Amino acid sequence: MTNSIPELEESDCILVTGSNTTEAHPLVASRILRAKQKGATLIVIDPRRTQIARYADIFVRQKLGTDVAWINGLMHIILKEGWENKEFISKRTEGIEELKKELENYPPEKVEEITGISRADLRRIAEAYAKAKNASIIYAMGITQHITGTDNVISLANLAMLTGNIGKASSGVNPLRGQNNVQGACDMGGLPDVYPGYQSVTNETIAKKFEESWNAKLSRKPGLTIMEMFQSIEEGKVKAMYIMGENPMVSDPDLKHVEHTLKKLELLVVQDIFLTETAKLAHIVLPGVSFAEKEGTFTSTDRRVQRVRKAIEPLGEAKADHEIICKIAKRMGNDSFNYDSEEKIFEEMTRLTPIYHGITYERIEKDGIQWPCTNSEDPGTPFLHKDQFSKGKGTFFPIPYREPAEIVDEEFPFWLTTGRIGFQYHSRTMSGVSPSLQKEAKEGYVEMNPFDAIQLGIEEGEKVKVISRRGTIEIKTKLSFNVGRNMVFIPFHYFESAANVLTNTAVDPISKIPEFKVCAVRLEKIEEENP
Amino acid sequence: MLDENIVSAILGLKLSHGHPIPFLFTKSSELGKWVFDESVRYPLTKILIKIAQKYPDQKIGVVVRGCDERSLIELFKNYQLQKDKVIAIGIPCSQDLANRCRCERPFPSEIEDGEFAKPVEDYSDIEEVEKLPEQERFLYWMSQFGKCIKCYGCRNICPACFCPSCTLEDENLIKPGGMPPEIPIFHLHKAYHMADRCIDCGLCEEACPMGIPVRRLYRKVKKAVKDLFGYIPGENEDEKGPLEFLGDGSYELPGTGK
Repeated sequence: MTNSIPELEESDCILVTGSNTTEAHPLVASRILRAKQKGATLIVIDPRRTQIARYADIFVRQKLGTDVAWINGLMHIILKEGWENKEFISKRTEGIEELKKELENYPPEKVEEITGISRADLRRIAEAYAKAKNASIIYAMGITQHITGTDNVISLANLAMLTGNIGKASSGVNPLRGQNNVQGACDMGGLPDVYPGYQSVTNETIAKKFEESWNAKLSRKPGLTIMEMFQSIEEGKVKAMYIMGENPMVSDPDLKHVEHTLKKLELLVVQDIFLTETAKLAHIVLPGVSFAEKEGTFTSTDRRVQRVRKAIEPLGEAKADHEIICKIAKRMGNDSFNYDSEEKIFEEMTRLTPIYHGITYERIEKDGIQWPCTNSEDPGTPFLHKDQFSKGKGTFFPIPYREPAEIVDEEFPFWLTTGRIGFQYHSRTMSGVSPSLQKEAKEGYVEMNPFDAIQLGIEEGEKVKVISRRGTIEIKTKLSFNVGRNMVFIPFHYFESAANVLTNTAVDPISKIPEFKVCAVRLEKIEEENP
Repeated sequence: MLDENIVSAILGLKLSHGHPIPFLFTKSSELGKWVFDESVRYPLTKILIKIAQKYPDQKIGVVVRGCDERSLIELFKNYQLQKDKVIAIGIPCSQDLANRCRCERPFPSEIEDGEFAKPVEDYSDIEEVEKLPEQERFLYWMSQFGKCIKCYGCRNICPACFCPSCTLEDENLIKPGGMPPEIPIFHLHKAYHMADRCIDCGLCEEACPMGIPVRRLYRKVKKAVKDLFGYIPGENEDEKGPLEFLGDGSYELPGTGK
């Protein structure tokens, strides 16, 4: 997030898109609802009428995968009406002319046709957002999990810069990161192209700094993303895989293909706290530890680095992840993996990572600190880009609208989007073993509009086949007006009725994220077999 | 008390990494980390139920405010704790906290130290909703309940909730799943169930992540029970609750106190 979770409460207008906030990020939702109570205008743009949408002043559904079009459409209206922040644009940004030129192609009539959002609604949204004193944008994977994920995010950044809603409190562009520490994992360099703190592996000075510290020769070439790894296994270039705390056998697209690929590996090592669907395919399973058995830090979605402390000692044979990694490194003949505590690892990271430089265990003993925090006096940074952007001026990138990778047709007439429910967590490795959570949501379902159900002769709770170009699943129906016509929604958590058997592996060209949020399917009744 | 073996342990708060947390003190040497902190309240008496289940023969001291003491009385009445195994260590609340809580009895019967705060009788929170026209009142509550994410936080923190199986999780009464859960039935079920048990500590409302004014609802029901039956939960140990009195004995729940 460019801004902080608590700041949301003081926002005058909050635009939530592609985020089922109450179910996936309830504490963020509670701040949004408090802002609403204080008089903020709440706008929700989502293909589904989510719980938070019921509290929106303006709620509209866009057609799946048309986000660039409606964002460009809003900017078109803002410019036409003169609602842009001219001072911010001239002082802090560059490239407005190029953006303006592209935006000419998005008049409201055309945007209405592409996105399904009426021109009147587009105008109301543009006006509420642009005229607010402090307007915040909240998004989650409904924006990123598209082949245009990067385009969608850049477009939202364009919208925020155009109206000067960035670089001040209670505004900004705020992605809600998943889990408790996805932000921290990325900060630590859990990405193929950067060292900790987003320092590029291709930068010579940076690479040298890490080589010196680690006393090792390091590659200047970015590694592979998940989807590229699977492709490289197919091509025989990747022969071994070491997976930690991830369950691609449920969470990756096109599961039949994932299974086929994982089975081709000469060596698969899985480190997890339970025997996941992926671990069942592994040659070696290593027992990691749960949050309660762990020391270290978690970094929340608003960049707040916080301490996590061990409540109990690791159970059974389980070991802290870093202990396992260091032991393997030693067996591989490297003896520089010597850390006598988690704090030592943290110290090494902060020494090499400018945005974490000023953070120590001592300073976050009681409460967390938000990065960047560059020295021991630095109190941290509640919101980013205050006086200037990290590169100086913010650049507007004109983004043309592109259709999703798969479009509905006669054979596959329904749009499918996938997502989460509040009672289950990702691939259910953890929530699936909780009896109370299981009781609330024990099996998957396909949510469909009752009118579509009537047309297909399908009843509430009936088991149906959902078929895409990749595979078929059998799943119970749940009829609800929360989804519009000609689209269905399936929570992806359940291995038994896995939505990801159906999803498309097409990826965003830059981030390489797969298009989990759009594909084409058809629904079929299951014919009863006559005895 | 620890040194003199009057109690085996004392349940209170200790400062842990700058934050007060509930802690079972078993040695007097640990008492250095003891804190009194009004900013954070925990349902210590509820935590005590778990401890008592594990160590039924031990006598344990517990720090109580006025509301905690009322909950103790309810827990004794409902056989969740044994009276002779609990020693209450009373602390008063500040007038400031009493005002914030609109507390009618911001002190336990005996206090170790400090001054009694003045009781606050203020039902303006309920009156505010009551004066709304019916339709608006209905919409007010439905919109509040609609925010519920069914985390059960209000139940889990409640020092007067202790049933081994909860009606809120009974499939025959309330459909599993749902964010929000079935409304208003989910919240009304709890309100009905708490009518003669709620000791009005307000922890439920503090715990609610979605800011639903659940205490307002329970206070309303509690007031109805007071007006109809003249009964106040947590006040008199020998007096049975009207719902229990009228009931079929299902209220007599298994617990260490029985």
